Amino acid sequence: MTFGQAMFLAVLQGVSELFPISSLGHTVLIPALLRWQIDRDSPEFLSFVVALHLGTALALVVFYWATWKGIVGAFVRSVARGRFERTADEKTAWLLVAGTIPVALLGVYFESAVRTLFASPLPVSLFLVANGTIMFLGEHLRRRQHAASDRAYRALESLNWRDGALIGLSQGLALLPGISRSGTSIVAGLLADLDHEAAARFSFLLATPVIFAASVLEVPKLFTASGNTVLTEALAGGVLAGVVAYASVAFLTKYFENNDLRPFGWYCLIVGAACAVLFITKVIA
Amino acid sequence: MKLIAIVLAVAFFVVAVLYWVGMFGGPHVKHGILFAGLGVLALIWLRFQSAAPTRAR
Repeated sequence: MTFGQAMFLAVLQGVSELFPISSLGHTVLIPALLRWQIDRDSPEFLSFVVALHLGTALALVVFYWATWKGIVGAFVRSVARGRFERTADEKTAWLLVAGTIPVALLGVYFESAVRTLFASPLPVSLFLVANGTIMFLGEHLRRRQHAASDRAYRALESLNWRDGALIGLSQGLALLPGISRSGTSIVAGLLADLDHEAAARFSFLLATPVIFAASVLEVPKLFTASGNTVLTEALAGGVLAGVVAYASVAFLTKYFENNDLRPFGWYCLIVGAACAVLFITKVIA
Repeated sequence: MKLIAIVLAVAFFVVAVLYWVGMFGGPHVKHGILFAGLGVLALIWLRFQSAAPTRAR
């Protein structure tokens, strides 16, 4: 992997981790389309990916710093008291706990097996098409569900722990490379009757502990002999991925104030279908 | 309910330790941390059971 390829992958990670288009899917498809010879299973590449994820997680923490301060404070106070006060921050904190448990269980037990089975270009292309379909289906169901009543959308704090757990569980689909974690969790939030802005906000908050924990646990890999050989690329890539992820989350929070998932759905359908054709017809081996 | 919380907490911590020491086909750090986290949550549940109930106003 050259320095230029590393920086390209860092930008790709920063954008695709938060846009609902599947970062894992893109890190499989783009190198295949560009015919880059990258060994995705090599210790060097895994060390580099750890740095990219760490950069992305830090960007999310910085962007939502004030929110996290309130959430963590409310969580600690509720545990110290031993009872719920039902403030907005406290409810959000417990919703995040409820949403994180299922995805942590699924990730720990199934991530490695699922990636081994499906992380190759053709299955990823097809899952990208499925990802687009999920977004269109989610938007359609939500509009139908909301057309039946004229009630206002729910506030995030009005969700109960089952809603939180279901939104968290929906992220499990993103173990399949090509299915977006933020996409599935935003769709699940919409089906729980949140508006786009609240669903996206909850999705990004829910992503932070998972990405952060997964990358922090792998940090020692950066300081192994193989990690040292890509330390420059890893540091530069981590910073670049973080800056791009910050810009992405800033853009998306603004975007979802007035827009929906359909443009991302179109993108996934078109790119997924085009890639599938290229790989099936062996135009790209 | 308190008893269930205690039993769950102990069980989760035991499984976490078993994962760390490699009882399930080699050490699994992530699995161990996951079960330790569940153990902490069970203890938090116990804390909620044990705290004095809020008085009705």
